[in-house]
Amino acid sequence: MAHITINQYLQQVLEAIDTRDGVFCAELLSFKHPHVANPRLQLSSPEDKCQQVLEPPYDEMVAAHLRCTYAVSNHDFVEAYKYQTVVVQSFLKAFQAHKEENWALPVMFAVTLDLRIFANNAEQQLQKKGKGKVGDMLEKAAEQLMSCFRVCASDNRAGIDDSKKWGMLFLINQLFKIYFKINKLHLCKPLIRAIDSSNLKDDYSMAQRVTYKYYVGRKAMFDSNFKLAEEYLSFSFQHSHRSCQRNKRLILIYLLPVKMLLGHMPTNQLLRKYDLMQFADVTKAVSEGNLLLLNEALGKHETFFIRCGIFLILEKLKIITYRNLFKKVYLLLKTHQLPLDAFLVAMKMMQVEEVDIDEVQCILANLIYMGHIKGYISHQHQKLVVSKQNPFPPLSSLS
Amino acid sequence: MRSSAARGARPLARKTGGRKREEHREAQVKAEDVVPRGTCTSMCPISETRQREAQNRLHRFEMLAGTERERLPRADTTRVVKEYSRPAAGKDATRASDLRPPDVLLKTVYYLVDEIAACPTLKPWTEVYSFVFDRLRSVRQDMVIQRISGPECVSVLERTVRFLLYGSYRLCGQPLRLYDPHINNTHLQECISWLLECYSKGQHKHQNEFQALNLLYNLGSPHAIQHTLELPHGVQHSAPVQLALAVSSAYMERNPVRLLRLAQRLDFLQACALHRHLHSCRKDLLLLYSHGHSSRNCRFPIQKLADLLTLECSVAAQLCQTHGIQLNGDYVVFCKSSFSENPSKQLECAVMHKLENDKQEDFSIGNIIHGIA
Repeated sequence: MAHITINQYLQQVLEAIDTRDGVFCAELLSFKHPHVANPRLQLSSPEDKCQQVLEPPYDEMVAAHLRCTYAVSNHDFVEAYKYQTVVVQSFLKAFQAHKEENWALPVMFAVTLDLRIFANNAEQQLQKKGKGKVGDMLEKAAEQLMSCFRVCASDNRAGIDDSKKWGMLFLINQLFKIYFKINKLHLCKPLIRAIDSSNLKDDYSMAQRVTYKYYVGRKAMFDSNFKLAEEYLSFSFQHSHRSCQRNKRLILIYLLPVKMLLGHMPTNQLLRKYDLMQFADVTKAVSEGNLLLLNEALGKHETFFIRCGIFLILEKLKIITYRNLFKKVYLLLKTHQLPLDAFLVAMKMMQVEEVDIDEVQCILANLIYMGHIKGYISHQHQKLVVSKQNPFPPLSSLS
Repeated sequence: MRSSAARGARPLARKTGGRKREEHREAQVKAEDVVPRGTCTSMCPISETRQREAQNRLHRFEMLAGTERERLPRADTTRVVKEYSRPAAGKDATRASDLRPPDVLLKTVYYLVDEIAACPTLKPWTEVYSFVFDRLRSVRQDMVIQRISGPECVSVLERTVRFLLYGSYRLCGQPLRLYDPHINNTHLQECISWLLECYSKGQHKHQNEFQALNLLYNLGSPHAIQHTLELPHGVQHSAPVQLALAVSSAYMERNPVRLLRLAQRLDFLQACALHRHLHSCRKDLLLLYSHGHSSRNCRFPIQKLADLLTLECSVAAQLCQTHGIQLNGDYVVFCKSSFSENPSKQLECAVMHKLENDKQEDFSIGNIIHGIA
């Protein structure tokens, strides 16, 4: 592969197209394949040669691909991205003309994946030079992917085995990756709706479904829909292939905070297995109601949590920690009429700075509003009066 | 081409790659030459002044004193400022003589702030705001066309952001035809975005101030919070940013008592930035307390509640009434089932401006916008 001539290469492409060999054709157009390092394919004007061997629009597509390999060998990802868009556009012309057949799906997967990767690399290169606005190129790549998506989604004629609809989930996953990166999560909604209403949704490959549920789970987290997030992320974690340790760890980083918010703390054994001991102190702090330890743990691993984008969710654990701390006060005093001062003392013992009785009242009011405490505050008596039955309902019973 | 060989490039690439790279570089240089550089030394290009004067399209702030009532008022060339004009097909916005270079743009902004926005005799201020808003937009337009970045750009943007923040507070509650908070917000967000991008590329004196203002203005936005948490250590741990983060934390934890208490520590401009969120914070406090204190025997002193809300007693009472909260002499009776929210019966924000008003003290508008307050 690394030494074939341009003619041999083009003949192989032609044959792949003629025999509708989507997998092989995809390899010949993918940057994961060794042919891209072959200098004999990196012509300055490949158009002529391509036109001699291939029909339009394949000639345009392959010519652009070859120009792309040259750009990549020079580490010029801005150029590479430019040519890859031509590859995708010409591919789409061919794809749309394929009536009631979907053999080219592997090709679509390969060229769209490379498009996204080049958009990423190009943006990084521009950022280093101080040019270009973050997200511009990725947004344009997303538009191209959406064009491909529309072609797949609107394939209503073909029978299920030949339907282009099988390409939808792959594209959606690529789009999710872009939308998360450019922080435009609201654009995920129409895609989620498309899959929810599709009758193929449970028949896509497990790998694709795991990726899909991972992103949808993260979006649910973002929307504060924690029950749903737990469902999706758990599915993703359980069905991840055993050998994908890295993926499982990534899923856990988001699943753990969600489970903790619902009152389920991870074991140290689990944390050790996946090298996530950063959560160990957080877990301990929350379950003990130890605000001091929580603040310390969040501070110690701040960089890690911020980079993963879970720092804000973990801050929500403060409410759970308050609840656990105040429950301890209740258990200690063994009465249903608790002086507000007792809670203030508890917080001061946790070295919470600058807190006064008014702020404590507000925290208690919030806990009552959210259903974590059953009772009411009596301002005149400066007491929290709790229900005689189950005043601190279990966390898992609340949403 | 010899040098390519010396670098050990592949044989095939040397013949074509080297030449391609030369051509590429030439094309780049040409592209840079095309960026327009302004040569206009006045606040308004002469051609526009003549044209608007002839068409009777001068603003009254631009007219020569004494000629305002004439059929065709004359232009005071020391006071005419280039107006914003919508880009259109066939309109050449890149003529060098029509564009103002960075130093002239900065001088223009100073004029707009000191002689117009801060001028005590120009009234009504809604008209002052509209004029300055439009002329600042034109300044930004000149900056975009000339791709200006650097210290003058930052100085212009900083003053624009301060002006728009001040405007959002001062004109709060004005009729829509005189002041539109949505339009003000759109421009404010654009300027803040641009400013933050400038900060990410270099060191600037007032960065801490504006990172804090960004977080306060966009309270609750996960994007703004994440951005602030990712700031370099020195900036993130500066006093203004730490205070803004504390306010943000109180908001995210849903502790309006703490939030309003922290708000007391903000300076005037920071209070302006936070101002549009305070209404919902106060409402939240009443909602939480309605549930937390809900009991038949509830007697919560109205004065205490007013202190927590950072409002005068009478205003606090009005606010309670709009939310269906019962008042009983000097006490409030919280009840979770009676809390209500009726958008048409909402209290006007301007009635609750005590916090911000108190902070303005003697600061002049000029000082506030230039950042010396």
